[in-house]
Amino acid sequence: MVFDETFDVLVIGGGHAGCEAASASARLGATTALLTLNLDLIGQMSCNPAIGGIAKGHLVREIDALGGIMGRVIDRTGIQFRLLNRSRGPAVQSPRAQADRALYRLEMRNTLENTPNLSLRQGMVVDLSIRDAKVRGVVMQDGRRIGAKAVVIAAGTFLNGLIHAGRTTYSAGRAGEPASVELAETLKRLGLPVGRLKTGTPPRLDGRTINWDAFQSQQADERPVAFSFSTEKIEQPQIDCYIGYTTNDLHERIRKNLHESPLYSGQIKGVGPRYCPSIEDKVVKFADKDRHQLFLEPEGHDTNEVYLNGFSTSLPAGLQQELVRMVPGLESTKIIRPGYAIEYDYVDPRELGPDLQVRRIGGLFHAGQINGTTGYEEAACQGLLAGINAAFLAQGRPRFGLRREESYIGVLVDDLITQGVDEPYRIFTSRAEYRLAFRHDNADERLSKYGREAGLVGDAAWERFNQRRDRIASIKKALSGTRIRKSDAAYAALNERTPLNGVDSISLEELAKRPGTSSALILELLPAETKRSASVEEIEFALSDSLYSGYIKSQESAIQRLHAHDTLLIPNGLNFRGLSGLSHEMAERLERAQPTTFGAARRIPGLTPAALATLLVNVSITARA
Amino acid sequence: MDTIVAVSTPPGRSAIGVVRLSGPASLQILRALVQQDHFAPEPNRVVLKSLLINEDVLDHSLVTYFQAPHSFTGEDMVEISCHGSPVVLRQLLDLIQTHDARLAEPGEFTLRSCRNGKMNLSQAEAIRDLINAQTQAAAVQATRQLSGQLAQALQPTKQELVRVMVILESAIEFVEDDLPAIQRDQIKETIDHLTGKVSSLAETYQAGHLLRDGIRVAIVGRPNVGKSSLFNKLLRFERAIVTDIAGTTRDSLTEAISLQGIPVSLTDTAGFREAGDEIEAIGIERTRRAMADADLRVLVIDGSCSLQEEDREILKAAGEDPFVVAINKTDLPQVTRLDNLNGAKVVHVSALTQEGIPELTAAILEPFGSMDSAGRGLLITDSRHYDLLTRAKRSLEAASSSMDQLAGEEIVLADLHNALRFLGAITGETTSEEILGQIFSTFCIGK
Repeated sequence: MVFDETFDVLVIGGGHAGCEAASASARLGATTALLTLNLDLIGQMSCNPAIGGIAKGHLVREIDALGGIMGRVIDRTGIQFRLLNRSRGPAVQSPRAQADRALYRLEMRNTLENTPNLSLRQGMVVDLSIRDAKVRGVVMQDGRRIGAKAVVIAAGTFLNGLIHAGRTTYSAGRAGEPASVELAETLKRLGLPVGRLKTGTPPRLDGRTINWDAFQSQQADERPVAFSFSTEKIEQPQIDCYIGYTTNDLHERIRKNLHESPLYSGQIKGVGPRYCPSIEDKVVKFADKDRHQLFLEPEGHDTNEVYLNGFSTSLPAGLQQELVRMVPGLESTKIIRPGYAIEYDYVDPRELGPDLQVRRIGGLFHAGQINGTTGYEEAACQGLLAGINAAFLAQGRPRFGLRREESYIGVLVDDLITQGVDEPYRIFTSRAEYRLAFRHDNADERLSKYGREAGLVGDAAWERFNQRRDRIASIKKALSGTRIRKSDAAYAALNERTPLNGVDSISLEELAKRPGTSSALILELLPAETKRSASVEEIEFALSDSLYSGYIKSQESAIQRLHAHDTLLIPNGLNFRGLSGLSHEMAERLERAQPTTFGAARRIPGLTPAALATLLVNVSITARA
Repeated sequence: MDTIVAVSTPPGRSAIGVVRLSGPASLQILRALVQQDHFAPEPNRVVLKSLLINEDVLDHSLVTYFQAPHSFTGEDMVEISCHGSPVVLRQLLDLIQTHDARLAEPGEFTLRSCRNGKMNLSQAEAIRDLINAQTQAAAVQATRQLSGQLAQALQPTKQELVRVMVILESAIEFVEDDLPAIQRDQIKETIDHLTGKVSSLAETYQAGHLLRDGIRVAIVGRPNVGKSSLFNKLLRFERAIVTDIAGTTRDSLTEAISLQGIPVSLTDTAGFREAGDEIEAIGIERTRRAMADADLRVLVIDGSCSLQEEDREILKAAGEDPFVVAINKTDLPQVTRLDNLNGAKVVHVSALTQEGIPELTAAILEPFGSMDSAGRGLLITDSRHYDLLTRAKRSLEAASSSMDQLAGEEIVLADLHNALRFLGAITGETTSEEILGQIFSTFCIGK
């Protein structure tokens, strides 16, 4: 095939996965083109205008530690930063920021436009060019042919997208944008197992018509915690959000009109996310709850548009307007854009390797909703991983993977490729066995070395990381080495705050674990030379390490005791059906999941202990041979 | 790689029993068993050594050291051939586990052997068959040996644990949702309740392994009080020679019997007294050992004469260990009066008329009451189950104390997840997906 243009890597889709993939690939030196339906909508937040949240915030910081871009973009465009779970332990605290939707989009496009080796192309991909089970390029709707060594598909909800609003349905990728039907058909033709998922979005309101006084305001943090390790200061002015509630009358009204809902009429076949239920689902499944919480989230500094978080719906637009007005404070509110549900195709992620490459088609990578995930952060981290691997493939470098023992990204990818999905997959802290070790503030310590090795972490960021690490090391030393003695002046004052029970002396590390102390207090007690260079944040970092170290050890030993063989590699292309003693059904489950380690096999649902024992023996033998 | 240990010979009584160790600590553990820090056995050479528990000799055994990689598993290995008494083997296994070794999983020696390339591919099929045979045997055993029942019995405990975890997990994951506040008191109470349940199940191990290996009962007493007669009556045949001559029984005699369906290993012993000759001295020494090894002692006293110094001595020797006093010869006029026996059960019997024999049987079984087949609860017989339950219990206790110290949910959950993992090794794993599933069906989550 003759190509009009040729690149090392093509990325299909300009959403959160596509942007990370294109940026990473180009910065690794691969000539890269981002193919998008609409250049003006690169980095668009299709649903709520926010990034982060519990576990999701961790993902963004991991992306940043590896050298991705999402963290830096949201830090420049976030208009309400809050550290969630601030009152809880450091491992489960996570940053969240609401974005100025338009600013985020512009900043992302600007970032990509200033990336060397990266070209932007507008148009719709309708076909893949594949020869000898390897991808060679793509065919555009306008007839252009673009060649590449690797292609990343990050098409979001566009694959065979079908919007539902009441009983009306129409083909679309997002409201007002065309669906990508031909590409979806291509994937099916290639024999990839394709399923349907569903997601939804709430109505957007005209802020001028809201009675804001009827809502409880929620402020941004005074001391915003940034996503990027490179951000020194959050510059955007911070805004308030507002909390309100639905009423019983409103619930009754929805119940009476359920026949209008495509969710309940059977019109929608795809499975939606349980943690992001529509308002219809909420009032049906939790009928005894007499109110549901709503958040009013302004979409930006220069717009009246307000996102009605918690009110995702696919009821007819007219009825949505009526329902919104039943919310106290929204009595005369007008909807600017109605909510809707959308069904779209995804490809079973068990088709993928840990590098997110489709096993049966060389050079083809999938990232984001095509893999059955939901969420900007989930999409972005897959985009980053796929982009790195696409570039590496083009450059003949070895695969890049992350382990579930050291990052949420590793957990997410491992879950996807071994267990598949039966509803849109979202990250949760409880999905990680090593949650206590995965803090948002130590993502750099866990992952920056990999980003540096790959080539995405630049000299300045690497230098900053090393300095921070050294400072924290010296703080740790000071914390365990500095003791407050009975003879010290500080002792009596401390005893007032937290009874020291007459101990002769206490180290700062031990002191910090006592109730009634704070990081600021510990900072004050540090020796002068350490105090000068240390920040409260770095002290908190050091204290978190000491808080969790015992638990992490006991957890590790429990897991090792029970799962000692988890790291054993399963050879690529092992013929599971050829293993004697393995039932047909068990072999089939293994074949479908294609686990790469024994640990991955262990997590495959439905595998019996006997099947695992058989596999273990076989793998042990072949590992030697 | 850690060091593993297992009894390699089939369970039950046999002439010899082989205990195998594999792993880097094998030699070190052997040194500890023989209590010689610098013991340097020549590899592949069999040597006779005394295995010691503290000061006492546990057994005289043949030990062989195999140096890595020249061993079955390819690791350092030690093989100990000791006398095939389940008691000795169990004590040895317990002792070894106090050092740096754990019980091997089924097939683990073979597995290590494969992993270290000690078996080539042509042997693979054979190994696989072996493993299959093992899993089949394990499956049969599992059904028979209550592990199915155990998993079932643990289900409510596990569900309760998951319910608590769901509440704590939700608090962490869905901070922005309108969830009910956590009732720490209630959670702590539930965790303690679960600890109690797991703990009482673990405690049945003692009775459980008695049920499997049999209760060891020793009949002791001064000469000529009728020990052998009682022994024969309980056996229901004339096994021991009975005469009027004091000291007829010179050596201990053991027979396996079933009392009301419970396996009992009954030992008749030589009478306790100042030894008359060397043979008798050895016999009496064996009596001491039988007494010490027994789970229960039956102390026989001649009711037709007054309490002798020797009787008192034996009573003293029994000390705190469980014993039953059988006052024999009720067919004769009774003169013995007993008081202050630390609550020990006293039964009046006549070996001659068999009067009181059913009462004696009942008294022997009474301390193992939970094994009574009619009201028998679930008993743990598998040491692996015991190990897992004990670990689960410890994790729950740690979680409870974290609650006391007002630790964060994620810290309490770390221990609860460990507890769930240990229980899961018995009942089957609970995935995080299942926990999330329960969160979504319990609470209305999602903005």
